[in-house]
Amino acid sequence: MLFNDYPFLLVFLPAAILIYRLADPHPRLRIWTLVLLSLAFYGYGNPPFVPLLVLSILINWLAALAYVRTKATIVITTAIVANLAVLALFKYANFLAYNVGLVLGRPMPVLDIALPLGISFFTFHHIMYLVDLRKGKAPTYSLDRYALYIAFFPQALAGPLARWSQVMQQFGRQVYAPGWQREFCLGISFIAMGLFEKLFLADRIGQIINPVYAQAQLGPVTNGDAWLALSFNFQILFDFAGYSDIAIGLGLLFGVRLPVNFNAPFRSTSIQDFWQRWHITLMLFLRDYVFNPLVNTRILPRRFFPVQYFFAMMLTMALCGLWHGASWTFVLWGILHGCALVLCSLWRRYGPRLPSLLGWVLTVIFVLVTGVIFRAGTLDVAWHIFQGLAIPPNLERWRHLLPIFIVPLMAFLLPASQDIIELLTRRPRPWLAALVGIGLLALLVDLGERNVYEFAYFNF
Amino acid sequence: MSLPTSTSDLAPEWGRCLAACLGALGIGALLLLAFMIVVDPYDSGKFGLLGIDGVDDRDTHTATASRARDARFDSAVIGNSTAQMLDPAELSRATGLRFVQLYLTGGSPREQLAVLDFFMRNHQRVGALVFITDPWWCAHDRAEPAPGRFPYWLYGKSSLAYAARLISWPAIEHASQRISIGFGLRKRTDPDGFFSYEDIWLPGTFRETNRPRDPALAVTAAGRDIFPEVSQLDDVIKKLPASVPVVLLVPPTFYTTVAIPGTAEGVEREACDAALRRVVAGRPHSNFINYRIDNALTRDPANFADFIHYRPSIAARMVEGIAASFQLGQAARIDF
Repeated sequence: MLFNDYPFLLVFLPAAILIYRLADPHPRLRIWTLVLLSLAFYGYGNPPFVPLLVLSILINWLAALAYVRTKATIVITTAIVANLAVLALFKYANFLAYNVGLVLGRPMPVLDIALPLGISFFTFHHIMYLVDLRKGKAPTYSLDRYALYIAFFPQALAGPLARWSQVMQQFGRQVYAPGWQREFCLGISFIAMGLFEKLFLADRIGQIINPVYAQAQLGPVTNGDAWLALSFNFQILFDFAGYSDIAIGLGLLFGVRLPVNFNAPFRSTSIQDFWQRWHITLMLFLRDYVFNPLVNTRILPRRFFPVQYFFAMMLTMALCGLWHGASWTFVLWGILHGCALVLCSLWRRYGPRLPSLLGWVLTVIFVLVTGVIFRAGTLDVAWHIFQGLAIPPNLERWRHLLPIFIVPLMAFLLPASQDIIELLTRRPRPWLAALVGIGLLALLVDLGERNVYEFAYFNF
Repeated sequence: MSLPTSTSDLAPEWGRCLAACLGALGIGALLLLAFMIVVDPYDSGKFGLLGIDGVDDRDTHTATASRARDARFDSAVIGNSTAQMLDPAELSRATGLRFVQLYLTGGSPREQLAVLDFFMRNHQRVGALVFITDPWWCAHDRAEPAPGRFPYWLYGKSSLAYAARLISWPAIEHASQRISIGFGLRKRTDPDGFFSYEDIWLPGTFRETNRPRDPALAVTAAGRDIFPEVSQLDDVIKKLPASVPVVLLVPPTFYTTVAIPGTAEGVEREACDAALRRVVAGRPHSNFINYRIDNALTRDPANFADFIHYRPSIAARMVEGIAASFQLGQAARIDF
């Protein structure tokens, strides 16, 4: 079920709010109600994977209990390896088989399996909890609470990657307590903002650039439109930021404050700054559960620590790329960003201070250019786009492509959506709320005219 | 970075905000839906209280609904743009029936069947049917419809599915056009649906485009006789009273795209023709005519705008063939 579709917005969400309203006065029903609603959400159009999700919850929860009883770290290690193995099977098996086939010079059998929605996200949720449990930071939880941590429908498919410590204590709280009206106003504002970002910004850019990438699959883009392909990063920003804002808004309607995921990344003045503002929850996960362990483990002699540090940085970003999909273009994209982070670190230590404006320009150019590799799917397609950049853009035609100018300007100039919403909701203003209602109606009208575009991060 | 937190407990004011937001959304949606139901933007006949006649719409996917339910006509030409040049007025003159053109630009067989179903639901008495069965009808696999390509919700039976689609910008635009027609500020498009593509593809030019999209060859010999969409058409035609004449035509194409007898493509074509012929076999005043042949007419580029779109010179011959078939059935002499 998609957040930007009528079945969700007009049927599931109102029904879920109503059902939860009935459960809210009964503390013992609250969490289970949300768990069942989340499984219904996950199962819509995707029923074969519900048992996988349920099994995943049960096995990891039992592993946590077993570890607490026995203190055998092998239990946690086995559970983490099993989680990664399931993720690898669904997401990387065919990629691996294809590459092994290339090495051996004969094609390997292809597994006919679909990627379960959200598997990357719920696998990481399990890992965050299990690692912290082993470190003694996390307690054990009841099955219903753990199940909701994994399956909570606003975040189950594409995050934000909330830490257990951020949400566990929020589950089961009374939603309709004094002050709930403000939380609902906030939640609706986030949902409206997210839908606006998705429908009016991301999808508009997508409509313009998708034909360019399709053209690049056939050969070099020689009509000057290759420049349009550079705007992919604006599309994915507003696509995923839009998704994250809707998720945050939905969380608020059910009494859970999810962490924010974006903080105006196109206002970054360095690549380090960029990665502190882009997909924040994933980067915090990678920092704490991949990068820090790699850096803090004694692998090389102390005097080679900088080498180990930068290697850890590169490896983390390469894995970040691979996490987005089973393709060498994702790995290359990650490695390029890893190189940029290393270079940026070295520059900060040894180079002169860059003016902010120059830093911003370099960061934006780097992100947009590497975004082409991310989107292209194959190196050939990316190369066809880059070849096309030798031809000047056809500005006469671009006059009719307003989103190409407006959307980047919004990315450059506007603050993060949570800051805009904070500004607008500092005090209650019914006239503004009525405008948001009319805006929501306009968004629903916009949804009615066309096919629904899936959120990009559902594929990762 | 965190979400904004409440600094004051102004529950009543926030309650008013929530009411204002949801009220504006709910009341706005209800008013919009009510307006759409009163106007019936696509003239589908499912709603509409103002009695506005027709639509001003050149998109055949949406405009065909209005024409297909028009009580002034009792007979229909159904197909895609390869049916477009058949003038319903000429057909009416030649047959004494009242023909409407219901072609769909780029329409697939499944979409044409949806239009046929809609036409039959809106006409208790059907005069006659002419079907232009282009190569898409000869596919052995029934392709899944591309989402959002064709408004099945407009031609379906469900008023609810139709109402759900009325909350959209195109529906609002159509509604405003219908209001303009109602006030006499705008003219409706011609009710019989005829639109000559010679206005765009000027006479005397032949473009080497639009090669006929012949379906993939059958994988097995047994599969060669399976044409799911022809079978579906057969089921629908069988439900019509025997007194309703039905003519199925294979539209002519430029001779270079005609399958050569004896080749694999030729065998496929013959199998499809046989299946189409069986649909009208034994039916009075009905016929199957294959115009996709190699002859002097199809060899002359002046008779075509491109590989599949024929000129009025050929369309006039086809009208004669249809009229003759309505009189003599399969005994009709087809001059082509």
